[in-house]
Parts: sequence; structure tokens; C-alpha cells
Amino acid sequence: MKKIWIIFRKEWHGFLFNPNFLVVCGLITAVLSWVYPNALRAFKMQIETSVYAGSLPQQQLNIHYGVFLRHLSFINLMLILIVPALTMRLFSEEKKMRTFDLLLTSPVTSAQIVIGKYLSALAAIGAVIFLGFLYPALTAFFANINWMTLIVAFGGIFLVAAVYAAMDLFCSSLTESAIVSYVMAVVFNISVWFVGMGVDVVDSPAARAVFEHISLNQHLSGFVEGTVRTTGLIFFASLIFLFCFLSERVIEASRWRS
Amino acid sequence: MIIVENLTKKYGEHTAIDRLNFHVRKGEVVGFLGPNGAGKSTTMKIITGFMAPSEGIARVGGFDVFENPIEVKKRIGYLPETPPVYADMLVRDYLTFVAQLKGVEGASLKTFVDRAIEKTHLGAVQKRLIQNLSKGFKQRVGIAQALVSNPEVLILDEPTVGLDPKQVAEIRDLIRELRGEHTVILSTHILPEVQATCERIIIINHGKIVAQDSLANLSTLKSGSRRVHLKVRKANADLQERLKALPGILAVVSTSPQDWQIDATESEDVIERVASEVIKNGAGLLEITSARADLEEIFLKLTYGNEAGGLA
Ligand SMILES: Nc1ncnc2c1ncn2[C@@H]1O[C@H](COP(=O)(O)OP(=O)(O)O)[C@@H](O)[C@H]1O
Ligand SMILES: [Mg+2]
Repeated sequence: MKKIWIIFRKEWHGFLFNPNFLVVCGLITAVLSWVYPNALRAFKMQIETSVYAGSLPQQQLNIHYGVFLRHLSFINLMLILIVPALTMRLFSEEKKMRTFDLLLTSPVTSAQIVIGKYLSALAAIGAVIFLGFLYPALTAFFANINWMTLIVAFGGIFLVAAVYAAMDLFCSSLTESAIVSYVMAVVFNISVWFVGMGVDVVDSPAARAVFEHISLNQHLSGFVEGTVRTTGLIFFASLIFLFCFLSERVIEASRWRS
Repeated sequence: MIIVENLTKKYGEHTAIDRLNFHVRKGEVVGFLGPNGAGKSTTMKIITGFMAPSEGIARVGGFDVFENPIEVKKRIGYLPETPPVYADMLVRDYLTFVAQLKGVEGASLKTFVDRAIEKTHLGAVQKRLIQNLSKGFKQRVGIAQALVSNPEVLILDEPTVGLDPKQVAEIRDLIRELRGEHTVILSTHILPEVQATCERIIIINHGKIVAQDSLANLSTLKSGSRRVHLKVRKANADLQERLKALPGILAVVSTSPQDWQIDATESEDVIERVASEVIKNGAGLLEITSARADLEEIFLKLTYGNEAGGLA
């Protein structure tokens, strides 16, 4: 436990003093500060016209659907590119700079190394998502918002990002090059969305059920609507566990190969 | 303290080390000497638990490196060929991190870090980023990191490589200071390094141990002879003959009109006899030294000798 904390703290400091992370935070703030007010303005116009016309469906007049959902899917899109940037160095840099030798000859297990690094990635992602959360939260000053729904929705996004982080950390453990790790991770992140798209493609109900279960999107949509489903939690947790376990195996194998 | 038995490592088809056997006692400083590619780093990586051997066992402090890697790693400080330093950390923070990683905690943490900094003379740069340090300083940070947990065993892979002569001398002094306190294995491909720091040498070539003994014994290894360097002002014609005629002298070679190399059987009074002969001869004795340095030749003979068809 203590060793995990030591590794976590070192990596977390690494994030804070790494220009990479600060650039990512700055970038996301800049983009959201431009996109979010625009979305709000569009929503306002929509309401104004609907007041006169009285024709829009009720759902679209809810700020949660009208603004926050778009905001969330936009954040999600950015996370596909951002999470790999945060995780790419975690193992590949250690291998390249030979600092991995230190970790592998210290009295820590491979699992402790992986968990410590994974948690630090989660902390960094948490910070990024918190930045995204501020925008809807600040909207509370001039609109009525349903906090519970909002928080659950962001929790869902965080879980999806946590799945990315586990996959991307695994990518980082496979290579010495941060760039290769980044590209591989982005491909991984995008492809899990394609797996989910199987739902719309296949016909047989059995295959449909399978795809529905392995679709990140299906599980996320529950959260986004503000409901926590255990199947979703279990699905995300098992993906995270799987990829952390694979990373641990890769590291353990590096002790035995050469 | 360290026991290595039948240790073998194969990289695919290539055998990097081949059935090594050696012991290192507590408090000993042992030099691992061999040309590049001999298998020094490979052996050290196995002892530190960095990688697994193909065959054989290694034990440190009574613990098997593979059955009990965590226990072994607690007891070892390791400097790999490339110092494992994080460029984006401050020297002091880095050493604190390593100490914690090795399990140092509480009040001793600061004490240990301070001591490592002091021993490696890093005080002036402890608040600097490692990436801004020169190569020599990085190497010192690497040594400090091996020392910082005050481990029983220190494994240093080519600790002075890439340093300037002054820094080399400092590191050698440091290693000499560690004698008795820590058990040290250091590897090098240069002989003077072990002569300056070690009590015992293990010479390794092509993955096999070709000699292991104390420094003193190795100097007379196999030849059973010693070499004396002699410098005279002006040699008379018959000096060579007269020296050769002395008891116990095996060979007399002049390398220049003034410099002579004399091989003699191992005996206490060779120098004395040679000296008095030179004076009797009126050649003008300038200098006479017993050639410890000839370990170099033995080393070359043992390692490169086979290929060169014997340098002797
Ligand atoms: N990772 C590796 N893969 C394949 N061969 C290796 C590897 N590491 C070392 N070798 C080979 O093993 C031999 C011993 O290497 P090494 O232990 O590094 O020697 P030294 O440290 O004495 O210079 C060399 O012939 C080297 O080419
Ligand atoms: Mg080497």
C-alpha cells in the first residue's frame, strides 16, 4: 500500500511539473470556454423560438439534454485524444531512459508499480474532467440544474476515461517510444467505440445482446441520463482490471525475457 | 553475503555467461574485471533481480534472488550502466523517492538522504533539476541513489565510466571508504580501477571466470615470477650478462639504453641484489621499481591472450 502511494505521489508530481499536462489543461479550458458559451447561446435561442412556436418536444427544453449532454460528448471526444497524452510517458519513458531498471530492482511488485501509475493517471484525468465540470456547475448561477443528474453523468464520463487510461497505460507498457504509445492508445480508444457500433450492424438478437453488453456507449448512456446501473459499473471495472492486469503481465514478462 | 552457483544466461542462442561460481564475503570489495561484452553487466543484472538467469542460482544475504526477490532487493543498492535518474526531478527529491522506494521511512529518511548527498558531494546541486546536470554529476547522483538506503550490498556497474580523471579519483576514494561498511561488487574493464579500490578480483572473459583471487596473489598469478623495472644513467656493455648471472633472474630485456625489464622468480631480495649489482657495475642507478602494474599484462594474457596467440 505504502509503495503504491510513493509511486503515485512521484507520478502525480511529475504531472504537475510536466508542461504536457499543463498544456492539456490550458487547451481544454480554451476550447471549452469557446464552445460552451456558444452552446448556451444556441440553447437560449431555441427556447426563445419555442416559446413563440410552442412546438419543441419537452425533452429538448431541458438544459441537461440541451446543453450538458453535448458538452459531455464533446469532453468525451477530447478525452480520446487527451488521455493517451497523459499516459503515454508512464512506462515508455521509463524504458527509454532506463529508469525502469531502478523500479525493477527496488523492493516493489509489478502490481504496485502499475496501480501507482494508474492511480496517478486517474488523478490527472480527474483534474481535466473537473475543469469540464466547472462549466455546467457555474451555469447554476443563472439556471436551475439537477445536480444529482449532472454529477452522475460526469461520474460516467470519468469511468469511461478510466477505461481509456487502463488501455492507454497498457499501450505505454508495450513500447519504448512515447509517440508509438500515443498513436496505439488513440487507436485503442477509438476502436472500443466501433465495437459498440456492432449493435446497429448485426441482426441476430443474440449477437445484438452481446454487442450491447460490450458497448461502452450503452453503458455510458445510462450514466449520462443520471442513473447508476450495476451492470455498467461492473463492465467498466472489469475492463479496467483486465488492462491493468495485462500491463502487470507485460512488466513481469520483461523481468524474464532479457 | 553473495553466493553465485552455476549461473548461466543465454540470450537466445548466445551464451552471455556460462556457469559462473563465486562467493563474496560480508564487507568485501570485489572487482569484476573483464573486457566489454564479457558478461559483467549480465551477471549484475541477475544478482540484483533485474532479470532471471537461464540456469543456476544467486543468493544475497541468504535469500534466493528468485524465490525471495523483494527481500533481496531491500538489501541491494544498484547502479546500472546508465544511471537511472529522472530528468525532471530535483536531485534531493529524487534521492528521497529512491529511499522511500527502498523502504526507508520516518526520521531516518532525511538522515539517509543527507548522508548520500554528503558522501557523493552533491550538496551544491541538491536543489537542481537532474536534466541540467553534467554527465559526471548525473553519474554521482546514480551512485548516491545506490547508497541512499544504506544497503548491505552495493552493485556498481562501471561506476567511473565517462568521468574526468578528477571525478574518477573522487569516486574511487568513495568506494574505498565503503569498504568494511558495505559489501561491494564493482565491474570495470580497466584494471587500474580494481587495483585502486578492490581487495579481490574476479576476471571474467567470454562469460567464464578465468581467474579469481586477491589482488596480491593475482600479481604473481601463474608466472610465479615478478617483474622489476630498472632505470640507469648509462649501462655498461656487460650489465645485461651480469644481471642474468644473478641467482633467481629469469630474463633481462632492455627496452631502451636506459630502461630495463627484469623478470625474476618470486623472492624477497631480488630488488636488493639487482640494485647492488647495478651499483657495482657503475651504471648509475636512477630508479628501480617492483612492477605491480604487470597485473595489466596478466589481465591481457588471461583475456585477450587466447586470441592473440599468447602475448607472453
Ligand atoms: N539484451 C541482450 N540481448 C542479446 N544479447 C545481449 C543482451 N545483453 C547483452 N548481450 C550480450 O551478452 C554478452 C555480455 O554482455 P554484457 O553482460 O553487457 O557484457 P559487459 O557488461 O561485460 O560488457 C555480450 O556479448 C552482449 O552482446
Ligand atoms: Mg557492461
